[in-house]
Amino acid sequence: MAEAAVKGTPAPAPSGAKSLVRVENVVKHFPAGLGAHVHAVDGVSFDIREGETLGLVGESGCGKSTLARLVTQLIPATSGKVFFGDVELTKLRGEKLRQYRRQLQMIFQDPFASLDPRMTVGDIIAEPLDNFRIARGRKRNQRVQELLKIVGLNPNFNNRYPHEFSGGQRQRIGIARALALNPKLVVCDEAISALDVSIQAQIVNLLEDLQREFRLTYLFIAHDLSVVRHISDRVMVMYLGKIVEIADSVETYSSPKHPYTKALLSAIPVPDPKVQRGRRLVELTGEIPSPINPPSGCRFHTRCPIARLPTPCAETEPPLEEKRRDHLAACHFSSDV
Amino acid sequence: MANPILQVRDLKTQFATEGGIVKAVDGISFELYPGESLGIVGESGSGKSMTALSLLRLVPDPGRIVGGQVLFRDQDLLQLTGEEIREIRGRDIAMIFQDPQSSLNPVLQTGFQVDEAMLAHGKPKDQARARTLELLKKVRIPAAESRYKDFPHQLSGGMRQRAMIAMGLANAPAILIADEPTTALDVTVQAQILELLADLNRELGTAIIMITHNMGVVAGLCTRVLVMYAGEIVEQGPVEQIFANPQHPYTWSLLKSMPRVDALRHERLRSIEGMAPDLLRPPSGCRFHPRCPFRIEKCFTNEPRLEEVGPGQQAACWVTMDRARKEMGADELKDIRPGAGSNVHPGQEI
Repeated sequence: MAEAAVKGTPAPAPSGAKSLVRVENVVKHFPAGLGAHVHAVDGVSFDIREGETLGLVGESGCGKSTLARLVTQLIPATSGKVFFGDVELTKLRGEKLRQYRRQLQMIFQDPFASLDPRMTVGDIIAEPLDNFRIARGRKRNQRVQELLKIVGLNPNFNNRYPHEFSGGQRQRIGIARALALNPKLVVCDEAISALDVSIQAQIVNLLEDLQREFRLTYLFIAHDLSVVRHISDRVMVMYLGKIVEIADSVETYSSPKHPYTKALLSAIPVPDPKVQRGRRLVELTGEIPSPINPPSGCRFHTRCPIARLPTPCAETEPPLEEKRRDHLAACHFSSDV
Repeated sequence: MANPILQVRDLKTQFATEGGIVKAVDGISFELYPGESLGIVGESGSGKSMTALSLLRLVPDPGRIVGGQVLFRDQDLLQLTGEEIREIRGRDIAMIFQDPQSSLNPVLQTGFQVDEAMLAHGKPKDQARARTLELLKKVRIPAAESRYKDFPHQLSGGMRQRAMIAMGLANAPAILIADEPTTALDVTVQAQILELLADLNRELGTAIIMITHNMGVVAGLCTRVLVMYAGEIVEQGPVEQIFANPQHPYTWSLLKSMPRVDALRHERLRSIEGMAPDLLRPPSGCRFHPRCPFRIEKCFTNEPRLEEVGPGQQAACWVTMDRARKEMGADELKDIRPGAGSNVHPGQEI
């Protein structure tokens, strides 16, 4: 969108851009005892375009973290395909897959749990270099210092330990580690959720700068839709293992085509009392159903304010289809949203 | 305005640690008026939660309240005996916490735990039970009768927080202190809980102190707000005014650093450089000066006090944003590094 392309922001990937990752009908079920299964991710298809930031939002248990692990193939899919460029990752095993993983890196939520407290920062950042035997000795050290500088830390911090750093600094260390192998895709799984507001802004700005400098593609996962909207070119919304909407991030906000997206947006408080008090909450009734036994038809029908029951919403699953150009939603009545 | 129901004067809470004394709350004063909803915002380590805990003398070891007064109905809560403060807690002033999971006993029925809040203050058993059912309905827990018997693990996070709120309201307290009550919840559930608190505030006239890091929560729920930084109040006043015209550079940059879901276009966030100070060695002068874009020489050495900057609005700043806008081009500033607006950097002026 032209209006998103303000100075100082990454140019949004044109809709015709090449896809870097393609996910086709991927399913992940986890055994839940007595033959039951948690339908964590239940048949999703989308692509991540080269150079874009694709945001992924949804509430706890919707499957967003599982999906992140499927994209990076940290866990095998129950069925479906994941392509990286022209290569089908879901077909690869062992060493071959490992080589591709260099291109796919992750940044995690908890900067306290994701860094080994007994390793120096230098060793943490160099671990990927060691794993793939890329640099040793002085070269390794140089690369570590370079990476520290890139993420805005003092290059001489390489001999320190994680406990000497604040949450925001640790997240920078995690980012340096993710960048060590010059990846193409970086998956940020709630990478800023644990940080204070003022620190969040620092990390968001750093991620934007790095994207421009190193031509990175991001899959940015968070439950905070205001941050996702800020950083993303496109936003994808998940509910109970399904994608319910994918669209340009400005359009997602201005004209959502799925009632769940609309409810989610209405629930986010805006830091402006004049605006916030005039907003109307789209209240969802009931609770998120169990992913062991997801509802029939449209999974959102049990809480949907515009569902027509039982036909078609409780009977027929709406396909994720184009409602406007480059704007996909899975709803029988998207024009009523 | 009516008389305040709570007056906090020069409250100081400190932690003695191996490295020295941490001044978690360092001499703060404020009032709470009947029926109002007051927000206390700040980032981790700003002292907002310690302030809340100090009001009810719930500061964990090795923390101690070392000075000040908390006046409630003409008595200083800090001077009461253990027995007397227990009478106040839960009856006159109740508190709910961030994590309902750890505030509820996992082996007792949820409804019974709400009963207990009343039994502790001498209500007969049958009356307590009837009131619990009424409260569970009031906080919109569906099928209250059957939910009464549920154990906490059988409830969702949102339901558990509703049960906590029911417990907090059990004795119809004059004040409800809510310490980040929605931080652990999903946004749709957060929105429901905030609506519930707003309704209760309106219907029952319970005054609310809302401790949060989320400016959006304050915007939706509160009428007045205190902004805390490094153990001190740096700005306070009516919510509309603070949001429309913040005078402390910390408040201003906090608002600028938050992405808004209703933003029309992508603007780079103006992040506050650096991090919150180490409270073992707080900075000299104004505690925000190492991160402040508009600091002047005085800020390095002299500590500013809260002063009137607008009707009912006070800020502790030698410069204030009115001057920073006029003289330092604050609104046009792209980069808000320390000293960026005022061009005052350490080493050159002191």
